[in-house]
Parts: sequence; C-alpha cells; structure tokens
Amino acid sequence: MRSDYNPESPLVMHIDLNSAFATIEQQSRPMLRNRPVAVVNRRTNLTSIVTASYEAKAFGVKVGMRLIEAERLMPGLIAIESDPEKYRFVYKKLSKILSDYSPNFVMKSIDEGVIDFHGVVNCRPMQEIGLEIKQRLRDEVGNYMRCNVGIGPNRFLAKTAAGLHKPDGMDEINHTNLRQVLATLELTDLTGIASHNEARLHKIGINTPLQFLDSSSVTLEKIVFKSVIGQHWHQRLRGWEVDDRVFDMKRVGRQYVLESRNLNRTQIVQRLHNLCESVGSRLRSQNKTARGIYVYAKTAEHGYWHASKMTQLPFYSDGTIYSLAYQLFSRAPDGIREIGVHCYELSDDDDTQLSLFGDVIVREHQLSDAIDNINQRYGDRTVHSADTMATDELIKQKVPFGGVRYL
Amino acid sequence: MNDETFLNERIEVIAAYGDGLNPCRPIKFRRLNGREITISEIGLRYPSNQGKRMVHIFDVTDQSADYRLEFDSERLTWHLTREGDHYAE
Repeated sequence: MRSDYNPESPLVMHIDLNSAFATIEQQSRPMLRNRPVAVVNRRTNLTSIVTASYEAKAFGVKVGMRLIEAERLMPGLIAIESDPEKYRFVYKKLSKILSDYSPNFVMKSIDEGVIDFHGVVNCRPMQEIGLEIKQRLRDEVGNYMRCNVGIGPNRFLAKTAAGLHKPDGMDEINHTNLRQVLATLELTDLTGIASHNEARLHKIGINTPLQFLDSSSVTLEKIVFKSVIGQHWHQRLRGWEVDDRVFDMKRVGRQYVLESRNLNRTQIVQRLHNLCESVGSRLRSQNKTARGIYVYAKTAEHGYWHASKMTQLPFYSDGTIYSLAYQLFSRAPDGIREIGVHCYELSDDDDTQLSLFGDVIVREHQLSDAIDNINQRYGDRTVHSADTMATDELIKQKVPFGGVRYL
Repeated sequence: MNDETFLNERIEVIAAYGDGLNPCRPIKFRRLNGREITISEIGLRYPSNQGKRMVHIFDVTDQSADYRLEFDSERLTWHLTREGDHYAE
C-alpha cells in the first residue's frame, strides 16, 4: 500500500450536469430560464422534489423536500413534472460526447460521467478538453446547458474537483494542491461521507478532511471503518485509484407511493401488479432471472412491513413475479401509503440448466419474449394484463438517478 | 404549480431545412383559430419513438409562451401538443 500522494499528472475527468433535470427543462422551455423551477415526479403537493434549479436552491429549496414546504419557502416556485424521455436524450448526447475522447469512459448516472485518459496517446491538455466538452454540450444540446468538470488523478478526486465551483465550474486537484483544497471542505462534502460515516470519524477525533487525510491506514481500517473500506479511503484520499470496479446487479425493484390513502385492497393490488410487470421487464432487459422476491409496504403510521420468499427454480415472467408477490402481499397490513417489489438472487439467463420442468420454463420464456418484442416494437406496455389497465397513468416510468442500466 | 395545457391540435408549419446538428428548424406556425406564432428559439429537439413510429419533438418559444410541436415522420404532420404560459410571477 502506498502512503504517499499520487504524483502523476491528473488523467481522470468527471463531468457533472448542473441541477440536471431542472436545467434540461430550462433549456427546453426558454420561458422557465432564470426562474425558480422544481422538477417533481407527480403534480401533487405531497410529492418530493427530484431536482431544483439554482434559482430555487438560492431560496433554500432542496432535493427531497416536499413540494408544499418548498412553495412555502419560495412562493412562485414552478413545479414541472419530470419528462424522462427528454433526460434520456440529453444523457445519450452527453454519453456520445464523452465517448469521443477515450474508450475508457463510463456514465455513472443519468447526469454524470467519467473519462479515464490513461493510455490515450497524444492526449491534449485536460483543461482544454474540459472547455471543449462544455462548449460541445452547449452546441449539441442547447446554449443553456452547463456542466461542472473536475480533473484529478483518480475518480474520487475528480468528482470532488467537479463539486468545488457550481455551476459551470472547472477545477483540478493534484498532489500539489490536494491539502489546500481539502482544507476548504467539510467532511460531508466528500462523496461517501454522510452523517453516519461522519459520526464514526468524529468518534476518534477526525473532524476535517485534512485530519482524515493524515490518518494512518491502520487507524482507518481497524478503528474507524473496521474493514478494508478504511484502506480504500486511505488510498482514495491520496489520489490512488480504488473505484474503477463494476459491481454486479444484486436486485431489481420498483416502488410506488400511493396516490391516495383511501384505496381499497383491490386497487392497491392492481398497483402492485403494475409494479411486478415493470420489475419483470427490467429483469429481462438485463438478461437475468431471479430466485427471490421481496415485497414491502409502508403504512400511514410510519410502520414498515415486509415479506420475502426464495424459490427452487429461477423465475422470469411477469406472471410468476406477480403470483409470488400477491401471495406475500396478502399478509400486508391496512393503512398502506407505499408499496414496493424487488427481485433478488439474480443470475444470468443463460438457459443452459436442464430441469424436470424444462418445458414449462421454455414456454414461459417464449411467451415473455414475445410480449417484450411486441412492446419494444409498438411502444411500452402495448401488451399488459387487463388488471393493470387503469394504473398506467398513475405509475409512470421514472428516471432512476442512481444508475444507467434502464436508460 | 406550473399549468401546462395539453393539446392535440393539427397545425400548419413553415420550416427551414438546412445542414448542421438541427437540419429541420420550424420558423412559424398557424393554429386552428388562425393565430400565427413566430418561433424565436428552439429550446430542445429530440426524437421520440411512439411504438415503431418516430416523432420529432420540438420544444419552442415565441418569448411569450413555450410550445411543444411534434412532427410525425411517417405521416409528415405537425401537431401542437403543449402550451405553457401560466407562470407565476
């Protein structure tokens, strides 16, 4: 393990769209520019804010805040329902721009990507490339689009650099200014340090990023994080790469906050059915099968109920997911305000394992594949169960922030 | 709360076709009531698959309201599908 700072010239660039969804809305609808805008998933007062524009953030409007609270803080706040298709378009444009600079690029989420320039021959100065990417975003998407560019010797420091001057900033962190930059930050400004990890660090007297940087690997591994994660932090803070790993997908799921507290059991089950079809479609889009199913419900009194089940044979179709979820859900309590379904124990759908029930599984595959093909060709949910017919307007596909698998 | 009006109004459009990243640029459109709107800016243009049909969406403004125009590349028709001008001051 290395205890020195990574002395190489920074070759990792992090690009982050500023208040992505709100900026895209302001780009697409010029009358919204320079106005406080909040993007929400549903037009109700109880909904939470997905993204706020900088004009709204200036008045204290934050992501995750209820719309009704935000409107109290900022009268005149314009709430816009999210438009996933538009965001997917910008994501694809950004992804295309980043792919022009290095084969080693990865989109970390719908609004941020990382380019690794290691191994790129005749690489131009990073600052020049950063400015060019900003300009291309304005030329190829729209002149209101802005992004932050961070340059660093590893992904973590590049992301930290991207967050230093928002919006539209460009910063570099290298071994010469590392201490100087960390001195200006709080612990929770570091990606991966939220209140829980901050409390762990505080416990042994680490109160600033600089103290964190100066802590030994042994302290972080044995006392603070009590695992190899401590070593990773020691390396990460010094500019050595530990985050270039791809994690396997562990679960696929969806959840839904009920639009009303007065729904009867049949209506709630219809919404559950819709979620099961959506989960099935996502599962198959990744060529996976599952063996476990997990269903949960949150109640109006802040109660949390859940149930799960493992099956002997892998499952794949909407019908099976729903029938398993339905059995579990029959034990759910009353007074539900949110429901969710997850599939876990995923494996690749390589179709090679023979079983006594081979014919049944093959038929199930063929039927699901045929339905998926029709839906791909004629539009999402062209074929679906009659039971969920009334729920499509309510349970719309939304853009997940955390990953790019379903974009 | 923003109040967009959702429409499905067939419109007549004058558009310019050139080169570059946005080869089709609507310039002006006439609504069913005869009102003519001159587009001052195209905010965003993106394709949308509606089943196997490709529709090109143009979010545009005339500086007094935002509009969404949809061009159906199969039927070669233009529709006005949204209007947003109820902004709180």
